[in-house]
Amino acid sequence: MNMFSRFTLPVVALSLAFGTLAVANPTTVKIGNIEPMSGPSATLGKQGKAAREMAVEEINAAGGVKSLGGAKLELIYADSESKPEKGVAEAERLINTEKVNVLTGCWNSAVTYPTTAVAERYGIPFVVPVSVSDKITDQGFKNVFRIAAKDSWWTKDQFTFLKDIQTEFGTKVETLAFVYENGDWGKGFATQWKKLAEEAGYKVVMDEPYPSTTTDLSPVVQKIKRANPDVLMLVSNAADAILLTNTIAEYKVKVKAIVASGGGHADPSFMKAVGKNAQYLFDIVEWETDVNKPGAKEANDKYKAKNGENLTGEAVDAYLAMYVIKDALERSASLEPAKIREALAATNLTNGPGMIVGYDAVKFDATGQNENASPVIVQVNDIGKGLERITIWPKNARRAGYTPVFPMPSK
Amino acid sequence: MLYIIEDMINGVLMGSIYGLTAMGLTIIFGVLKVINFAHGSLLMVGMYATYWAITLTGVHPYLALAMVIPAMFIFGYYLQAIVIKPIFIAEKNVREPITVIIVTTGIWYILDNLALLVFGPQYRSLADNPLKGKMLEVGGMFVSQPKLFGFITAIITASTIHWFLQKTVMGRAIRATSMDREAASLMGINQYRIYNVAFGIGAATTGIAAVTLLPFYNVFPTVGVLFDIKCFIIVVLGGLGSISGALLGGIIIGLIESVGPQFMTATWTEAIVYGLFLLVLFVKPSGLFGQKHDW
Repeated sequence: MNMFSRFTLPVVALSLAFGTLAVANPTTVKIGNIEPMSGPSATLGKQGKAAREMAVEEINAAGGVKSLGGAKLELIYADSESKPEKGVAEAERLINTEKVNVLTGCWNSAVTYPTTAVAERYGIPFVVPVSVSDKITDQGFKNVFRIAAKDSWWTKDQFTFLKDIQTEFGTKVETLAFVYENGDWGKGFATQWKKLAEEAGYKVVMDEPYPSTTTDLSPVVQKIKRANPDVLMLVSNAADAILLTNTIAEYKVKVKAIVASGGGHADPSFMKAVGKNAQYLFDIVEWETDVNKPGAKEANDKYKAKNGENLTGEAVDAYLAMYVIKDALERSASLEPAKIREALAATNLTNGPGMIVGYDAVKFDATGQNENASPVIVQVNDIGKGLERITIWPKNARRAGYTPVFPMPSK
Repeated sequence: MLYIIEDMINGVLMGSIYGLTAMGLTIIFGVLKVINFAHGSLLMVGMYATYWAITLTGVHPYLALAMVIPAMFIFGYYLQAIVIKPIFIAEKNVREPITVIIVTTGIWYILDNLALLVFGPQYRSLADNPLKGKMLEVGGMFVSQPKLFGFITAIITASTIHWFLQKTVMGRAIRATSMDREAASLMGINQYRIYNVAFGIGAATTGIAAVTLLPFYNVFPTVGVLFDIKCFIIVVLGGLGSISGALLGGIIIGLIESVGPQFMTATWTEAIVYGLFLLVLFVKPSGLFGQKHDW
């Protein structure tokens, strides 16, 4: 007992001293980041981390937040393991123990949804780079700001694209099949798809959720083959996107087009793992490396040199999120959560290193949704330099000289 | 009708591979009487070993067995000898060595995170090889060749282990230890060496499962987690410690997963699998092939 107290006392005293120092010292802004660092979405968590670090290094090297006397940004991470309960617990810990000024995260919509409620309760601003479930900004929360387009916008764009490409190539699409992971994200997309398909007069021949922890997708692929749709629409995480793409090729499923929804299909290891089986796939994404914006190529080269992979939509949104936060801090000139919140709500970011996205401004509406966010559609194809993702839609963003392939030729 | 047959074939093939992934778990349990929570991680280690063996040498996927089986045996043997044995010895007067279960959980976390550190979070799959994506087309039915190879391998592995346990001196010693470790010790069997060997065999079997999976699956640090729960359900269904039970349990799950989605959405088959799991626990807790008596 005696020894115990002899050791603990100085330790407690020390930590108390450091604790007060950190609070009193205004030269750091603590940004808490809840991301999936392990578990099924760990790849995406790592990308988000790498992008955040790149942005924060740049911001700190350029002198930090000037209105706060050159305050540096400090990133603190917590692993959600893609589990909602873990995200909630980590948010509590980051707010109460780490005393973060701003929160960001959590990639998985299912985690972001309950976690933003914690931030709202404590009045800590929560910037969501990319979690697309509509309901995240439909909660009437004052402290939630989302940069990426929400899923109802994505699905609307997927259907507009479908209509445009039929007109462009004169091929008719009549039947659709929906296959999606059974999480918040997949089910959210499917609900929208059903409504949009009905409005546009398509016949839905298959509507199939599958468990995202599945180890065999051939039963689902068999079902697709038997339903024989014109267009197959997918929502998948990484491991299942790879499995699904390979299995579809193995069973020689013939459709006019496969339209994916980013996520697993946009994961950098996806193309490496499936190779030519991914050819002609359409995918809707936040961002693509061939996007025609100043600074985009440089930022991508820098990221690639560090991490060996291209920037992804997830990474770009995380990168942009840091600049959005920095911009808000400059205007708030305060670490008080309410002031930061006010500044975020008044955001109108049109330039700077963060603005390498496909659209022109970050501006939040009353619900905290970035009203300008819009995704692009790409096609995976080989035009002499190996398989790559080529931006094709909206048509004015299409890579010069590329003609999309539709309907998909049989392989 | 043709559809159902096609689905049943896929179910049996995939199920036998599930059975093979669970076989190592059931062997280790049968002898050590310990649920090895690091089982999925052993599978993950086996899959990375297979991936690198094939990628670096460019051999036919199944030739990797020659490298993966001994490597996994040694890995399992020394994992037990160095990490788990000391706990067993410390707990030797306890009838149910619970601490060992906690140690295996620790091994699971350490291995998965080591893989994340060393190999990164990427999903890797084999480059083109003689098996990847190959299908047999029989009368309008598609049968996956890599899965057919897996099925044959599972049958051979199960029969070999059965023969080994029944006919060899080491096999008899293993069975003796699994029936009554005290009595076996009194007969001059070194129970800790038997544990090492059993763990080695369990890991090697899991390595074989890894080889059968890789031609059509991909590997990433947490791949074991996806198979873990399935393996536990399979061994409970088939009976803890039973080799043929593991194979049959795997095939039952494979059939439910493969035929089920043709009548309902794929997510429901999961519910059926868990429902069956509970039913077996209620009606026949020792599993379909398990021994009735307690060890």
